[in-house]
Amino acid sequence: MERKQLYWEDVEVGQEIPTSYSLKLDATRIVLQVSGTQDYYQVHHDRDFAQAQGVPDIFVNTGFLTATLGRLLTDWMGPEGWLRKFRLEMRKMNLLGDTLTMKGEVTDKYVQNGDHRVEADVWCETDREGVTTPCKATLILPSRG
Amino acid sequence: MADEKKTPEEMLEEARNMIGMETKPVTSKYSVEYEPIRRYCLMVDDDNPLFLDPDYAKHTKYGGVVLPPFAPFGIMSGGSPAMMASVREGTGEEMIMPPAPGKFLINLAQEWEWFKPILVGDRLTTKVRLADVYIKPIRIDPKAFWAVIEMHISNQRGETVCMVRNILLRHRSPEEVAAGN
Repeated sequence: MERKQLYWEDVEVGQEIPTSYSLKLDATRIVLQVSGTQDYYQVHHDRDFAQAQGVPDIFVNTGFLTATLGRLLTDWMGPEGWLRKFRLEMRKMNLLGDTLTMKGEVTDKYVQNGDHRVEADVWCETDREGVTTPCKATLILPSRG
Repeated sequence: MADEKKTPEEMLEEARNMIGMETKPVTSKYSVEYEPIRRYCLMVDDDNPLFLDPDYAKHTKYGGVVLPPFAPFGIMSGGSPAMMASVREGTGEEMIMPPAPGKFLINLAQEWEWFKPILVGDRLTTKVRLADVYIKPIRIDPKAFWAVIEMHISNQRGETVCMVRNILLRHRSPEEVAAGN
């Protein structure tokens, strides 16, 4: 189960991150979310509780969203890459029944203090809302020298 | 914990007096383990062998299975419904939650920085600090409370492995707002 290594020289500003993928937020995925994050806040698995809070339905939690985007990046950068910084904004909810797609685009690359860095915009989007979770990531990649 | 006898402005004053407060360092009861990582990866169909395969991971620069970058939250929570309730109510030792008129909690933004890898077998310690709290209206609650919480995570060698900054929203239900609570 080898993983391809991404090198800084192979990244182009403006390129799409090629490891985009989608997840259907069905009932099983909601259960997996609770299992994986150990977040038992009812708003993330109990429809009645969520609606009492004033939201339309169950919505997935931060831990789940960051895991989706973490996978997008770690699938891309390979085992020698390093995620250095990340900012995430949860602007719209990702609800039970949505299909969530993770995407990204490279916005910059540079060398800083010997580190070969790549900046990227990454995000989650749904057919229902468009971009729900815009983020910015800073990676450090190996260089071929 | 929400106090129905105080106005939001009174609760904000009380909350702002807590700015700068820190929890004592809390060390996770359990070290980082394989099975929680497997469940974490399963929830997003992640099959990365660096996170799941000890035989693969031992031949990488890390020498062993690595915790996925955003997993420290879930791995360290030792989660249970009671624990999550104590975090939201500010009664747990792992979180500082200022008082607010609303009981509902939404996480709006996070900022992460990573400094060291976290491997299976590491034992993590967290320290949480309240950085800011203010009132900012939202559609369903004109007196919604916003809190900025900083979390510092270190390993058993005392090395900082990552830092997380959360912006949390506390708000009332539409019914509570209508009732003037």
